[in-house]
Amino acid sequence: MNVLLDAQEQEVLRAVALFLENECPPTVARISEDGYSGISHALWRKFADLGWLTLCLPEDVGGQALPLTYIGLLLEEVGKVIAPLPVHSTMATALVIEKHGSAAQRAMLRRVGTGDLILAYAVTEASGVWEPGAIAMTGRCEGDAIVLSGAKHFVDGFTVAGMALVAFRLVDDTRGTDELRAIMVDTKTPGLSVTPLRPMARDGQFTVAFDQVRVPAANVIGAGPRAVHDLMNYAAVFMTSQMQGAARHAMMLAVDHVNQREAFDQPIGAFQAIQHMAADMMNGVDGSQLLAREAIWRLSRGLPADAEVSQAKSFANEHCLMVCRSAQQMFGGMGFITICDINLWFRRVASWSLRCGTTYEHRKRLAAILLDQGGPVRLDQAPSALATEDA
Amino acid sequence: MDFAFSDEENELRASIQTFIREHLTDEIRRDLQETVVGQGYSEASLKFLGMIRDNGWSAVSWPTRYGGQGRSRIAQFIVEEEFHRAAGLGVGGGGTGAPAILASGSQAQKDAFIPGSIRMEIIFCQGYSEPHCGTDLAGIRCRASRVGDKFVINGQKIYTTNAQNSTHIFLMVRTDPQSRRHSGLSVLLVPMNLAGITVRPLWTIQHEPRAPSVTTYAEPRTNEVFFDNVEVPVDALLGEENDGWRVAQRGLNLDRVGARRYLISTMRDEDIVNYLKSGDELVEQKRNDPRVRDKVAELWAEAQVCRLMTMRSLSIEENGGNFVYEGSAEKVFAPEHGVRATEAISQILGPQAQLLNGSPEAPNEGVFAHNLLGAFQSTVNHGSVQVMRDQVARKGLGMPRQKS
Repeated sequence: MNVLLDAQEQEVLRAVALFLENECPPTVARISEDGYSGISHALWRKFADLGWLTLCLPEDVGGQALPLTYIGLLLEEVGKVIAPLPVHSTMATALVIEKHGSAAQRAMLRRVGTGDLILAYAVTEASGVWEPGAIAMTGRCEGDAIVLSGAKHFVDGFTVAGMALVAFRLVDDTRGTDELRAIMVDTKTPGLSVTPLRPMARDGQFTVAFDQVRVPAANVIGAGPRAVHDLMNYAAVFMTSQMQGAARHAMMLAVDHVNQREAFDQPIGAFQAIQHMAADMMNGVDGSQLLAREAIWRLSRGLPADAEVSQAKSFANEHCLMVCRSAQQMFGGMGFITICDINLWFRRVASWSLRCGTTYEHRKRLAAILLDQGGPVRLDQAPSALATEDA
Repeated sequence: MDFAFSDEENELRASIQTFIREHLTDEIRRDLQETVVGQGYSEASLKFLGMIRDNGWSAVSWPTRYGGQGRSRIAQFIVEEEFHRAAGLGVGGGGTGAPAILASGSQAQKDAFIPGSIRMEIIFCQGYSEPHCGTDLAGIRCRASRVGDKFVINGQKIYTTNAQNSTHIFLMVRTDPQSRRHSGLSVLLVPMNLAGITVRPLWTIQHEPRAPSVTTYAEPRTNEVFFDNVEVPVDALLGEENDGWRVAQRGLNLDRVGARRYLISTMRDEDIVNYLKSGDELVEQKRNDPRVRDKVAELWAEAQVCRLMTMRSLSIEENGGNFVYEGSAEKVFAPEHGVRATEAISQILGPQAQLLNGSPEAPNEGVFAHNLLGAFQSTVNHGSVQVMRDQVARKGLGMPRQKS
């Protein structure tokens, strides 16, 4: 039991932080907001060249084979400087391929590690609901192809990605089944129509319609529903890491501001009304960080983690937004003027809190684990994870 | 990072659980609960406590040369957690007295107090708060004057919980009458049986009827302690004269945080989930109510934050570090969570949750009503959450003091 970072974890975290602090001032995020691109290609190249994308990839594709916890740390830092880098979608997807993919599918991870292949994932549909049961896109077997029909909504970074992992139902009319599957789709495949959205974060999010899109059947990821289940857990918990990093930095910016801004003859940061708000902000980000790190640690050990992922995301949705909203409050009127940087953080965390599962969706899943399975609960004994089947 | 206990730690926990299953009877549990009123332990309880002592669980992390087990703070936490869960019993080696003596005491003091503490023959109460100063202990007025080779103590302490069962008081006094704030304070180790000491009970809102076992702040009684020309030899002084503030800080041993604080803030969350699952017809419909389910899940996530903050504090201690703001932060989040949870659970259960122990129709011996009486005490005791927030802001975030 040591919930603090060990020496190697601290070293990696420091190195990433140093790089991003130097290379990613808020102007980089601002430029990426023009046209809702969600990426700085120049920064992505430098980031990849330093090997940060290879941390948790297996050695046979040029990776460093570190535990998943390093991806969490990486995303905390990416969130901190709100770097316009599609690390979240790329790594959440890559880890599913790494875990469940065939040898041929895993081979593409080499290009992920070098930064040459950006990945996206597509789970949510028009309802916006983050639940396996809300996935309705169909895929039918035709020879050696799967023909996909339907639409995916709220897809992060689709246009900058080379491949997207798409959750769908494999319809077999003769057997009367429609089991969940995940399939790798080339984002340039004919039959896709892409509509850019305008999220508050001003990063890249898209609706992608699939009109009888033919994808090689060999692109289906093994393990079926399990792959979708893992994808959703990775996406939700790594989004939590990113939100927490961003919220923590917003807090630090706001504290720096109130320690200097004077009113009533002293820095407003000397007033308890401000200090007590700051203390609650600290507990909000620390709580989010501890929950997310534990969930990721469990995933890294192959332990069931549905409850822990949902604890983390539901808590962070509310508390990280509270932190960023409080930071806005500390900046006063300037906070919501566009030239003031603080709202860059608020807008992102507000957007991200609505992706990969809302507060209520995650609490619903957590409540089912707590209340619908037999046996008494105890806080230090993780309730066993739900089955992977559809809700 | 590593969020798991080691195999050895898990074995320790299992062995305590087995011990409790085999030896803790309902009779002993009731007796331990009643003892806080000041009537002493029954034969059965004394035998039970003796077995705890013989297993070395009363001094888990204390050095072996004084009869402790020399194990880690994490092992101590596990012992504390299991005995608190089972009977609200404070066993393990934290708390007032011995940890501070181990940190600051002379060889003679260690020899005099530590073995007796391990045998649970020496029990300290904490003499910090006074009627005019609680969280701001720099205002202490209780005086100890040096007269020859003695200190003469005059003054009053308050909220001296368990004074009626204690053999000694860990007494913070002002030894330099010219001093202000934290300088000029000293710690004296004072036997409670000296002439001039008077203990008077203060009955809490849990007094009548008595709270059931393992209620949040179940104590029916705390005390006022008066000192009227009480004389102790100078060797009652712990550490240096006028250095009492630092002496107290050095002996905190997780003090405000740790197993008990974590558990009194979070066991309610387990209670409500397990009650909803119990099959009791009173709650079967509530279990399927989406509003209840959402609230229960929200509370559960918060309770996990409390647990993880406790694990963070343990990790810091285990690594030999010092708290910057983390102990204070935990002392804000956990007690306030306890209040939110307790109040929400009352609203989930409805009017039955106001029924006290012994009332007709009271579920689970009235524990829900008694928790409601106790939960907010945790936001007051051992440093109010308001002052704890000041600490988080100033120490954790470097925010300035207000101009006076």
